[in-house]
Amino acid sequence: MMNNKIYEDLSLVSSRAKIAFVVVRILFVILIIYFWKLQILDFQVFWQKSEENRIREIIVTPQRGLIRERNGVVLAKNIASFKASLIRENCEDYDESYARISKILDLPPEVLKERIDKYRSLPLFQPIVVKDNLTHEEVARIKARQYELPELVVQSEPKRNYPFGTLASHVLGYLQEVSPAEMEMERYKSRRMGDLIGKTGVEKQYEDSLVGEEGKVFEIVDSIGRKIGEISRIDPIRGNEIYLTLDFELQKKAEEILEGREGAVVVMKPDTGEILAMASYPNFDPNKFINRFTPEEWVDLINSPEYPLQNRAIRGLYSPGSLFKPCMLLAGLDQGTVNESTSYTCRGSVIIYGHPFACWKADGHGVVNLYSALQHSCNIYFYQLGKRMGIEEIARYARMLGLGSPTHIDLPGEKTGLVPDPEWKKRVRDEPWYPGETISVSIGQGPLLVTPLQIAVLTAQIANRGLRVTPYICEGETNGTHEIERQPKDKGVRSPISQEYFEKVIQGMWRSVNDRGTSALARIRDFDVCGKTGSAQVVSKATAEKLAQQKIEIKTHSWFTGFAPKDEPKVLVSLIVEYGGGGGATAAPSARELFELYREKYD
Amino acid sequence: MISRSQIKNIDWILIALLVVNTLVGIAVIYSSSHHLSSNYYLRQFFWMFLGLAVLFVLLTVEYNLLVTYSLYFYIACVSILGVILLFGKLIAGTKSWIKLEFIQIQPSEITKIAIILLLARIFSEYKRKYLSNEAGLSSCAFVMLPILLVALQPDLGTALSYIPILFGAFLLAGLTRKTLVTLLIIAVVMGIVSWGFLLKDYQKDRITTLLTPDKDPLGTGYHILQSKIAIGSGGLLGKGYARGSQSQLQFLPARHTDFIFAVIGEELGFVGVVVIGVFYFLFLTRLFQSVSQSRDRTGMYIIFMVALMITSQFFINVFMTIGLFPIAGIPLPLLSYGGSSLLTNYIAVSLVLNVKMRRFVNI
Repeated sequence: MMNNKIYEDLSLVSSRAKIAFVVVRILFVILIIYFWKLQILDFQVFWQKSEENRIREIIVTPQRGLIRERNGVVLAKNIASFKASLIRENCEDYDESYARISKILDLPPEVLKERIDKYRSLPLFQPIVVKDNLTHEEVARIKARQYELPELVVQSEPKRNYPFGTLASHVLGYLQEVSPAEMEMERYKSRRMGDLIGKTGVEKQYEDSLVGEEGKVFEIVDSIGRKIGEISRIDPIRGNEIYLTLDFELQKKAEEILEGREGAVVVMKPDTGEILAMASYPNFDPNKFINRFTPEEWVDLINSPEYPLQNRAIRGLYSPGSLFKPCMLLAGLDQGTVNESTSYTCRGSVIIYGHPFACWKADGHGVVNLYSALQHSCNIYFYQLGKRMGIEEIARYARMLGLGSPTHIDLPGEKTGLVPDPEWKKRVRDEPWYPGETISVSIGQGPLLVTPLQIAVLTAQIANRGLRVTPYICEGETNGTHEIERQPKDKGVRSPISQEYFEKVIQGMWRSVNDRGTSALARIRDFDVCGKTGSAQVVSKATAEKLAQQKIEIKTHSWFTGFAPKDEPKVLVSLIVEYGGGGGATAAPSARELFELYREKYD
Repeated sequence: MISRSQIKNIDWILIALLVVNTLVGIAVIYSSSHHLSSNYYLRQFFWMFLGLAVLFVLLTVEYNLLVTYSLYFYIACVSILGVILLFGKLIAGTKSWIKLEFIQIQPSEITKIAIILLLARIFSEYKRKYLSNEAGLSSCAFVMLPILLVALQPDLGTALSYIPILFGAFLLAGLTRKTLVTLLIIAVVMGIVSWGFLLKDYQKDRITTLLTPDKDPLGTGYHILQSKIAIGSGGLLGKGYARGSQSQLQFLPARHTDFIFAVIGEELGFVGVVVIGVFYFLFLTRLFQSVSQSRDRTGMYIIFMVALMITSQFFINVFMTIGLFPIAGIPLPLLSYGGSSLLTNYIAVSLVLNVKMRRFVNI
């Protein structure tokens, strides 16, 4: 058969091929052995795992608890909303899917792709939300294409809604998608990617109460993930309802007063610490944040120079100006530096440590005692008092009265303010304390910084004749059975300063309102308002003098704080309008409106 | 150009094994994709008939003629790969497809045939006992070019599947210990270089996942874990045809393509794996046994390279489904859904038949 002329000897090549085939046979044997191990020896383990797979666990988002004001008006609720999700498993061609979905939902394909990439570690059958807050047209458009686009599904979810928009926005806060960093935190460890959480305000503070418990449905699903049966279900538990201490009308009024002017208002019950109104302007509409995507409004708000997201009532830091004078007087009386018979003569200015210090009234107040000093807010009296007390004592009393430390209100992000002393200046600025600074601090200027809420709590302590309370915004919770679990009422702490000195300060504040003092515009007949105005300089003394020479008017921050009535105080108002000018002209009459509204409603 | 005696010498058993394995594949494709709107099993039928048609038509052409013109075929393939790389539209994240009216073609699959024919040409007159440096380097260069072009698509799996073909040619040419060590060193260096510079993160993940698949069960390890669960839970007899909970409930990814063997494992059990494995083994055995039934060196090289190409893809794919090889995106020849892959394998088998049927013919 073999003809060597035509057929060359290929036995060597042929034998090499045979060796390769031996290797193939060995590999086949190994393969069969390995499958034996997987399918026969480890069968139980894998069978168990596959059973767990067939039953799909569906998470049912609970309804977030409502937030109501003290009389039951709902400030935050839930409404039905639709979201569109992409199920990658049903995608045949990602790019084509992106292109078609982007047309239907009016989303750039890059945004869509970025979104999907972010969640690429999730199993393929898990829907990834690509757009929420769908309009009815969008829902209809998706439904109409559900057979051509099996990868795009519509799901409903409860959506947070704030029916009054900007009202109490800073107190309520807003919701946003939980960030990867937050998911690491102990507090949010049970949250899932894509969940919305409270990012500030009551929504954040009471997140754990509001969020409720998620439900689970264990269902058997068919080949394309459709539910064919339900094995068991754990119903979601709705989040607790929160009752706030806020009064809807006072809150509304407070915001109307601020409208268009940067500033903050706190209305509070001095005896309990209940916050009746807390307003900050500029404000924002929290409805705009309830979106998984970064809307342009959000970026605008974050970048706005006016910080509309800041709750100025607890985060705004201001010089107290003359509002610090009652504090000074309490210190002076308690120290014995001054008493009822101490008087100073005001000639419009005084030279201390070689520098001239001016009173706001250029021709002077004449002879001034402790009552008229508060009544007319005379600077000279407090310069002399401050000079005699020294900065260390001033700082000690300011701290004793709650400045420089948080009020511990139940809202996140409160600032502590600053009470300066030589030790602080050395540490922070590495400079010695100048005696002249003590004189500035005496009238609430210099590095001294307070928040409007600290002023409100200080005013409450004066109104209570020394009893210090903790302010609070949450009255209680109910879990649906209408049992309101009241927050344990704070009994308050009594100040070591004698009650009689508080009476004297109150007398001075009463005169300020009712005896043609600086706060006269806050006066209400038969309501005995006691108050104090402040006009805090915003610029340093040197700059102020320069500006004054150029005849440029320096607008000061306009303060008022006060309570009413004088005996048995029921309400207090603290208010600041940034660059509002004199406290007496701007802040005092605004406060009056709030006192009047309170009186109309509750008295 | 085909005589009666040649028709008599057509290896009908090999064709039968080819068709039987394809039909097994179609049955499993139906089970794993019957709920999807595109009728994959019907499409695969179409490809099978097209493949058979091409197979018989190619038998009429003398294989040596194909080898003679192999360089032109090779240049055509490489040019197409270059063009789609430059102007191609991304489909499923890669540029491996040419989209025609109603079918998509993957030129990188057909390129395998070009490589086989070209290598057969290079080695047809090679009569030394061992592989020489010149032959080794020149054939290496010819194969590296398409590997590079396909890897850039990026379709690393298909690109790497060219290497066993080249290795097959080297094996027959004969490897001295020195050459083997050199090749090993080159492989290691290439591996390190690509790990450092070329591989994307997801590709590295796939490799590290092999070592620790349970570390991230919902992430990179998901596919491997689900595939292993599917196979393991099949047990001795399986969950029944079209009744695999893993496959039917879509926990298993790429069921009708790359992970089709997991569906077999789950639904037909160990018994099914062995039976189908035996069919496959018979097919491969027939290929390897055909090597010695060639009248010339060219034919031997062709048959051996075809056998090694299909065998290597089979093992890589099956090892992948049980977590012994990184997820490489290599389909299971004949069983996985995929027109280009099926067509390529049919053409490859056609070459084997071509060589075998002409073994008694004088030149």
